[in-house]
Amino acid sequence: MKKIQTSCIIDDDDIFIYGTKRIIQEVDFCEEILVFNNGQDALTEFINLTESGKELPSIIFLDLNMPIMNGWEFLEEFTKIENNNKDKVMVYIISSSVDPRDLERVGNYEIIHNYILKPFSAKDLQSILVNIAV
Amino acid sequence: MTDLVTSSISLFVKSSPKAVVVVDTNMHIIGYSDVWLKDIAKSKTSLIGESYYNILPNTSDEARQMHLHCLQGQQIASKTFKSIDTFGRIKWTKCAINSWNNENGIIAGLSIIEEDITVDRHREEVLLKAQKVARIGGWEVDLRNGQVHWTAVTKEIHEVPLDFQPDLETSINFYKEGTSKDEITRCVSEAIAEGTSWDLELQIVTAKGKELWVRAKGETEMFNGECIRVYGTFQDIDEKKRIEIDYHKVSDRLAMATSAAKIGIWNYDFEDNSLHWDDITFDIYKADKNTFAGYETLRSILHPDDYDKSVKAIKLALTGQKEFNTDFRIIWPDNTIRHIKGRGAIIYDSENKPIKIIGANWDITEFKNTKLELLRNNESFTAIFSNSNVGMTKVNLKGTMVEVNDAFCKMLGYTRKELLNRTAFDITFPDDIKKSQTFKKRLVSGEVSSIQAEKRFYHKNGTIIHSMISITSVNDINGKISHLIGQIVNMTSRIEAEKRLKTLVEVTKGQNASLMNFAHIVSHNLRSHSSNMLMLTRFLNLESDHSEKQNIEKMLGNAAESLNETVHHLNEVVLIKTGALETMKSESLLNAVNRVKDTLTGLIQEKNAVYEFNICKTHFVNVVPAYLDSILLNLFSNSLKYSSPDRKPKISISSEIKDEFIEIKFADNGLGIDLKRHGKKIFGMYKTFHNNKDAKGIGLFITKNQIEAMNGKIELTSELNKGTIFTLKFKKA
Repeated sequence: MKKIQTSCIIDDDDIFIYGTKRIIQEVDFCEEILVFNNGQDALTEFINLTESGKELPSIIFLDLNMPIMNGWEFLEEFTKIENNNKDKVMVYIISSSVDPRDLERVGNYEIIHNYILKPFSAKDLQSILVNIAV
Repeated sequence: MTDLVTSSISLFVKSSPKAVVVVDTNMHIIGYSDVWLKDIAKSKTSLIGESYYNILPNTSDEARQMHLHCLQGQQIASKTFKSIDTFGRIKWTKCAINSWNNENGIIAGLSIIEEDITVDRHREEVLLKAQKVARIGGWEVDLRNGQVHWTAVTKEIHEVPLDFQPDLETSINFYKEGTSKDEITRCVSEAIAEGTSWDLELQIVTAKGKELWVRAKGETEMFNGECIRVYGTFQDIDEKKRIEIDYHKVSDRLAMATSAAKIGIWNYDFEDNSLHWDDITFDIYKADKNTFAGYETLRSILHPDDYDKSVKAIKLALTGQKEFNTDFRIIWPDNTIRHIKGRGAIIYDSENKPIKIIGANWDITEFKNTKLELLRNNESFTAIFSNSNVGMTKVNLKGTMVEVNDAFCKMLGYTRKELLNRTAFDITFPDDIKKSQTFKKRLVSGEVSSIQAEKRFYHKNGTIIHSMISITSVNDINGKISHLIGQIVNMTSRIEAEKRLKTLVEVTKGQNASLMNFAHIVSHNLRSHSSNMLMLTRFLNLESDHSEKQNIEKMLGNAAESLNETVHHLNEVVLIKTGALETMKSESLLNAVNRVKDTLTGLIQEKNAVYEFNICKTHFVNVVPAYLDSILLNLFSNSLKYSSPDRKPKISISSEIKDEFIEIKFADNGLGIDLKRHGKKIFGMYKTFHNNKDAKGIGLFITKNQIEAMNGKIELTSELNKGTIFTLKFKKA
């Protein structure tokens, strides 16, 4: 099983961040975890990474409801910026929203690989790993 | 010549009833009858021995020659002479001249029997002339030898030369093929067989091919029961006949015309007071010809109410005061009442005395009924026009209103005078003028005869009147469009109601959407807490490290608290949405602002903020006081919380009256919000826009909900790093 180098959590909920970090370690999902509290912070950092010739995290766990720049706004901007990654960056929406309008919007972004409803579990991570391997 | 002879002759002839004169060879008179003496010689004395020519000096040369010839021994038949007497009158004399011999057989003289046939001759001449003038010819057929004789006039009529010799067959062949020839053949055959006569008007074709009308009369002469001679006259009646035929044609045409037009002709004779009707009159009056009793019949048919009127009309006509031209009613046998028009002309004799009145009458019931109906229609139209609740106007082809009804005036708030002679476009809502002009064009051109549409007018007070109009074109008697009739139904209240309904639907839609939003918010917010708690409890169960366990427990507590808080917020929103309007009352805006400012004194001092209130004491708003406080508190504290660290916070609140609202402007010089990015979600629940740890994204959400629950409005303008202005509207108290 190929181990992922870096993954990224973009969420304003501290408890969620704590929990996600924990289960990532549990399943030994990746080497490194980046955490941002809103889309704007993540975007700024990603632009820096690309400019300094580094790769972006290959997996992004993105929340939708956040202050300053929410998940959708982030996606809108993120699809415009360049990156140095060999493989595609994969975005997973992790949200507690069951609003059908949100689910509908997922279809507009090729970059989104799945929409995962909170609570986020180790099982979800394992199936992501299986998916990537295939 | 012996005296004996002379005297015996004299004696012999003296008493002859004829005018006889005897002369010797020298034309000396030797004897005469008394009649001759009296009638021819016009003498009373004896003329014996006188010369004949002395006594009758006017004897024509022709006669003298004849006397001479006769004395020389010629036999002379009787001869008629024309002479002019001493008075210059033409005189016709018929003479029978004979010579007489003496005893030796030698001519000794002449006996002249003279007869004055002037009268007969004259009569004959007149007859001939008359025949010629009347173009009456004669003819006869002698059946014994088959000879046919035509007189000159007959030949003239047939246009054949005078030496023409007709026979029976050619005579008949001159008649025109068809009726004329058939008829004459039949009559001639019958006459020959049975001795009947005929008198017919027939057509012949002359030798020159001309068609002529002739009157042919025929008689027969019978002998021993056998017809031996047929004779008769033959008269050219062509001119008369043609006139007659023309006359018949004209009168037939007149009869046909009057019959077709159902015009009855009547005449009333003043001499014997008799009334005559033609068939059509009988038909018009539905009267029985057989029981017709003249005036009495008319009287029985006349409508009793019109009797005096009709009699008066006749009297007026008779005295020449008024021509006879009157309408009256009659009653048919089946009791239907018919209207009749009668016109008459009075015929006067040479002494200017009226002899009779000739008149025509015809049934005008349909006309009268149509007229009545028209009148009634007109009346009912006028009644409808003036009393209708629907606005009505009569517009001429230029678009000018020439008549308006009260309903229309009332609808638009104008007086009749103000509307008349103005065009409908003058009071039309500008956006609808073009449409209206197109309607008018289509109606006036005859493309359509009526149009229904929605149209807006301006009321005199400037408000818009929504209406449903129906315009119809009206034709004049020639079928040309004379004017337009517009019917206008005021739809304003209906349109307003519709608008209200639309607004209501919008509000409901909005509320539904916001409820849906709310539901999702609720589920999202509750779920995010519950999922956190679920996750934390799972960790807690797995965790063995004590300090980590404590950390998780602490987080679990926070999550529970957040959940509680969220539930509290949601409850607050539900409360706003439900029972707001029941507790609305009048509240002084200035007091509320001051109250809020006092509450925030600490924060104001901490931020070193300044404020400025420009609120009129008299501005009272209709609100739920607690909501107003909460709203003002939220906005005020936001302005302080999100103030710019680069400048001294300044907050200004002002108010003014806008229609039925009081508009409050709440301005600060703080951080501002990027409306391009966040405009849509500015009032959303749990939306935060600054990196502020205290921000929960609930304040503006609740504020907006509270304002809308009180039928108010909130809007904002903002610029990053310049400040934010919230504009609030509340119903004036």
